[in-house]
Amino acid sequence: MTPRETTVFMKGIVKVYPDGTQALKGVDFEASKGEIHALLGENGAGKTTLMRILYGEIKPTKGEIYVFGEKATFKSPRDALRTGIAMVYQQFSLIPSLTVAENIYLAASSVKRVSLEDVKARTEELSKNLGWKVPFEYTVENLPVGLRQRIEILKALLVGSKVLILDEPTSVLTPLEVEELFKVLGNLRDEGMTIILITHKIREAKKISDRVTVLRRGLKAGTFNTLEISETNLARLMVGEEVELAIRGGASKPGTPALVVEKLKVKDDMGVLRVKEATLTVRYGEIVGIAGVQGNGQRELVEAIAGLRPALEGRILVDGVDATKLTVSERRKLGLSYIPESKLVGLALEMNIVENSIMTSLLQFTRRLLEVDWGKARSGAGDIVREFGVVHRSLDDPVKSLSGGNQQKLMVGREVNKKPKILVAHEPTQGLDIATAIMVRRRLLDLRDKGSAVFLVSSDLEELLSLSDRLLVIYDGRIVSEGAPRDYALEKLGLLMGGVIEAGQE
Amino acid sequence: MRLARSDIGLKRVYPLLESLAALIVGVIGGFIVAAALGYDPVASISLILLSGLGNLEYLFSISMPLALSALAFILPLRAGLFNIGVEGQAYIGALAAIYILSLGLGFPLPVILAPLAGALAGFLIGVLKVYRGVNEVVSSIMLNWTLFYTVSFTVSRYLRDPLIVHQSVRVDRMLPALEALILTLAIVIAVHIILYRTTLGYHIRVMGSSPEALKYSGGSESRSIIVAMTLGGLLGGLAGTLQVYAVSGFIDVTMSAVFGTGFMGIAVGLIGRATPIGVLPASILISALIIGGHRLELRLGAPPELADVIIGVMVLALSAPYALRLLSLKLWG
Repeated sequence: MTPRETTVFMKGIVKVYPDGTQALKGVDFEASKGEIHALLGENGAGKTTLMRILYGEIKPTKGEIYVFGEKATFKSPRDALRTGIAMVYQQFSLIPSLTVAENIYLAASSVKRVSLEDVKARTEELSKNLGWKVPFEYTVENLPVGLRQRIEILKALLVGSKVLILDEPTSVLTPLEVEELFKVLGNLRDEGMTIILITHKIREAKKISDRVTVLRRGLKAGTFNTLEISETNLARLMVGEEVELAIRGGASKPGTPALVVEKLKVKDDMGVLRVKEATLTVRYGEIVGIAGVQGNGQRELVEAIAGLRPALEGRILVDGVDATKLTVSERRKLGLSYIPESKLVGLALEMNIVENSIMTSLLQFTRRLLEVDWGKARSGAGDIVREFGVVHRSLDDPVKSLSGGNQQKLMVGREVNKKPKILVAHEPTQGLDIATAIMVRRRLLDLRDKGSAVFLVSSDLEELLSLSDRLLVIYDGRIVSEGAPRDYALEKLGLLMGGVIEAGQE
Repeated sequence: MRLARSDIGLKRVYPLLESLAALIVGVIGGFIVAAALGYDPVASISLILLSGLGNLEYLFSISMPLALSALAFILPLRAGLFNIGVEGQAYIGALAAIYILSLGLGFPLPVILAPLAGALAGFLIGVLKVYRGVNEVVSSIMLNWTLFYTVSFTVSRYLRDPLIVHQSVRVDRMLPALEALILTLAIVIAVHIILYRTTLGYHIRVMGSSPEALKYSGGSESRSIIVAMTLGGLLGGLAGTLQVYAVSGFIDVTMSAVFGTGFMGIAVGLIGRATPIGVLPASILISALIIGGHRLELRLGAPPELADVIIGVMVLALSAPYALRLLSLKLWG
């Protein structure tokens, strides 16, 4: 192997956030020309923080950065872009109301003076090399996410970046789009680019990268040639200890229907039909999971079930009662409980932990004269915080002062601790460390074993496969497949979720 | 799991420190403007700051309506609503009070009935927002002027003092200062209890934090808007009621006795950091500044607006910590 030319070298990077969180505790990182370097770690391991430091977006508390052999002190991403480093975030930084050409122009012109025509011509040439078609005249908001990501990458290439950082680029893509992306990344590497891929998916790192650096809780667990390390070892390094990845409860004993959805149609905020005739049943004593790429109607489906979004057509039965027209609290009285995907929905961030802990059960904490029983609320909040390990200073602190993972624990703990008859859980373990995620999963199984019905919507396939008694697949607003989890190999599930195959033609 | 508690005590007094810092910045602002206008800054500013404290009864009588109008502003504010209509609610509350008192009805009827007129105005703003999507700021401002001229017309047409044409009839039995003070304190405590101890206040605050969260919690956004605006109007109406019943004893066609009660209440509410308890010291401070401004005009011939400069700079300075936080995040992330 020829000696590789180092493009990026970060030494002893420490990052302490103003709230005292130690995101990075002295990390070395090095990437070379012509390689795809995977940065692997769990949520909260510090991957994104490290790369945002490299990109000049946040400043390290300590440590040095060298780019192309020279010491770099970036004041802003603009400095990083000028030096040849670009980053594509999970949340794209495109302006939805502008056209593709205008977006690319905006990015290019912030680095140096260019004309729109020039930008178009060069984008055209670039994309031809990559084998992409660029719909210049479309406004970005009308484009699917896969295309938006390509535009982000084109933006990066156009400003002459030599180092491309991608933050979890596959999380929004279908399996086919992932293949496409990886092919392009491979070509770019062969042309001599340095590509840094932030990911938490071991399989992905293994498949595409040349080297892989594993981060664990703000520390580097090691850098390896990808070919020389096994998936199991990577998993071990990532997690730090042997954890039981798959948990299984005993066999389920499904009872009577708890939640029935019949031919449901639901629109999203923009008036687009997102749920197109969904029919499903969840019985007491079972966990029904639903798999799908984000944005295929899951959110609208669960919001309609919870009563936050009107059903256009169809029926929703909760505990045998037609709940289609009932309010959120009426459905709650029927035993329905709901963990939303977004913390902006599920938490009042300005309010404190005690106040948030009673948000979905205010009636239980109300004395006569509509007075809130704060003493009782405080002890309930204490239980949630203790059982779910919510790291906090004081119960009187506003929830916005908690980290995202701890907010999630509070939001999940609040619903699980109510021991609901029917629980609709949307991404219940997002942002949680593995130990807490496993605990939450155990609690869901526990609810099921005690006779509750659980409807689980998750983008974590392992979670779905290990918890569900029955698994549904949603694609484009329709339930396209239903079966026992053991019937689904990961590949088959991927094809169903990507709309490549439909039920029946498997 | 718990982290260190060491800095919790500090966090509690933080708002107070910020308000004090804002006062200092405001004073510096007044100092500069006084000097620029050619007045002796030390003499002017010390006059503004201290002369209000000379007559406590007068100080409290000015501050009571301000405290109430500040409450009228902050209660809807906690639901995320801007009740700019306090001003108009105070006008109509004052008019209703004059009318009720002119019928010979005595305490407590005026303070119970007259504020209902303000509540009606608040209710209207809330209903317009819920059912017609009218932004409460827009409808409030329009309603302020509508009520200004309605009250002005009614005074000159129906409630005129037989001897002084541009004035309303006088209140013959004013509410004693002590009773007015006790009433104000009771209302401050009541608003505090509503906001922090009842389900209604809980819903209002959840909505102020996130309307989505309110929907999720099972509360009704429409009802919360209407209730918060109606309560805000009720308090605004009470501010006007107290202004005539305990302070001025009459209103005139230019509304000079009530004019500004609502708008100054907004400043008081902000300086009190949008908390009912904070409104008390804030209203006294602002009243002292207002009195000081008038005394300044009498003694040094300087414009009383110098006091307004201090108040204005204070309110601006209070938004500075927020701006600083954003800035420090950007600079030192």
